[in-house]
Amino acid sequence: MEIYLPIAEQSMNVFVLLGLGAAAGLLAGMFGVGGGFLATPLLIFVGIPPAVAVASQANQVVANSVSSLQVHWRRGNVDLRMGLILLLGGLFGSTAGVWLFTYLKRIGQIDFVIAVAYVVMLSTIGALMLVESLRTYIRRRRNPQAPRGKLHTHYLVHRLPLKLRFYKSKLYISALLPVGIGFVIGVLSAILGVGGGFVLVPAMIYILGMPTAVVIGTSNFQILFVAANVTFLQAATNGTVDIVLALLLILGGVVGAPIGSRLAAKLPGVVLRGMMSILILAVATELLTELLRTPSSLYSLGTREVMP
Amino acid sequence: MTRLAAILMPVLAAALLLASSGWAQGPRVEPPPAGALVGPSIGGPVDSTVPPSVPVEAPTPDLVVDLSLARVSITSAFQGESILLFGMFDPPGEIVVVVAGPPARQTVLRKQRFLGLWLNTGRQSFDDVPAYYAIAASQPLQRLLARGAGGEILSLEDRLQSVRSIGEREHQDLIKFRLGLVEVKRREGLYPAAIGQVSIQAGRLFRVDLPFPSRLPEGIYEVRTYLLRDGKIVAAVSRPLPVAKEGFSAQLAGWAANEGPLYGLGAILLALVAGWLGGAIMRRL
Repeated sequence: MEIYLPIAEQSMNVFVLLGLGAAAGLLAGMFGVGGGFLATPLLIFVGIPPAVAVASQANQVVANSVSSLQVHWRRGNVDLRMGLILLLGGLFGSTAGVWLFTYLKRIGQIDFVIAVAYVVMLSTIGALMLVESLRTYIRRRRNPQAPRGKLHTHYLVHRLPLKLRFYKSKLYISALLPVGIGFVIGVLSAILGVGGGFVLVPAMIYILGMPTAVVIGTSNFQILFVAANVTFLQAATNGTVDIVLALLLILGGVVGAPIGSRLAAKLPGVVLRGMMSILILAVATELLTELLRTPSSLYSLGTREVMP
Repeated sequence: MTRLAAILMPVLAAALLLASSGWAQGPRVEPPPAGALVGPSIGGPVDSTVPPSVPVEAPTPDLVVDLSLARVSITSAFQGESILLFGMFDPPGEIVVVVAGPPARQTVLRKQRFLGLWLNTGRQSFDDVPAYYAIAASQPLQRLLARGAGGEILSLEDRLQSVRSIGEREHQDLIKFRLGLVEVKRREGLYPAAIGQVSIQAGRLFRVDLPFPSRLPEGIYEVRTYLLRDGKIVAAVSRPLPVAKEGFSAQLAGWAANEGPLYGLGAILLALVAGWLGGAIMRRL
């Protein structure tokens, strides 16, 4: 069954879009990431213009986050103070990101920047997570009684000013750090159409040292508002949010997300992180091949301006 | 829609035959007076133009054209459209149909390997590039235009010769960009490679299916039908064909273009409600 997408200006199979949404939702529920890092490249791959894919995906992330957030909020897994401070950076970052996106689109390099940014980030994060989870897994198997070690180590970040106490996360760190992380996530969110969870979750675990239990809920909280900001700005400046496309992705995601969070509750954190890292690396490899392989056509169409 | 038109066509054509014989009592027995340059029309005004190659005093043969749809409506269910063009002409002759989309300034991007990665390094704009271009003919075009008097009937290659490039670029390189443009447009189905087949029945009725892909730019398209005799245009009829979004699609696209901020808020609200409700419902199951 085909449906015409009014902003993407083409028709597309309804079930392909529902399926994509469901896959993204599953990831959202499982790992606390928006799933956008998987859905956006796939949307572009099936022929949706990158600008529309990114903007509409941001809209789907809003829905995804709100339905995951419901669960985590009820379980008390949201560090509100941390979330708000991340959000502060996120709002600035996403605004700057939409501006950058508009500029890159104008000079015709948006596709390339999207692809390269994905490859660099996904491969770095994927590799880091894979190494860490393997190491933890092996250590636990060898010696299950071993002490967990220090809760977190003290380094530069603990010497920055503006220190704040985050009770839920059991942290006493500078507020500048989460603001900075939030900013970076905001930029990524705007340019790549992702919630940024796949960067935010590892950053919260490894850089901020937050306990895994509150990470997912808190990242969902921040992502919800950042994605809403991106949706609004993309709609207002570029007019590239396709509601029909977003709604189909959302419907798929609604089905996928709870399945994901139920799976997540049953699996240990190490396994979860290991699985996520493999998935991230797979997407990165695919995108890299795409960049390196000689394209089937060297030419593509840029802007089309109707003459008066 | 197309099938309905196919059924209607013979009926309409028969009515036309009656009408035209009433006007001119058979075109070859007694040519119509010089004033009757415009043929009888059905379903809206038919604009018949006299090309410069035809002497003014010579009678213009009848050429009547109609389309099965007056417009292409891009609705939520749009998957491309096939429009039937049909009509009648004074024999003998051959029919050529040229469909051209609205002209625009089109930028073409070219990828190049840079540090092992493929990225868009070249860009070239052309003015007056038709959004869509298709030709249909009752005989292979080369044969019809063999005597070189096709005049304004241009093959896609000839039509694109006239696009103006913006800025300075070496001639050979410009040609490559132009070929690149055709390649991309062809892939999107906007410059069909094949010449459509106009079929002629009873020596004076003709019909052809005009295919339009789903990724169709909006605007006023022009459908020009030519009657050729001995490679010369002896009659031509032009019909505008508006292509526009309609209904729900048009409404949404309009809001997105004109009410960006409001549209954005609506999109967020929709996502919040859908996500919240969906999450709540799925957890109950």
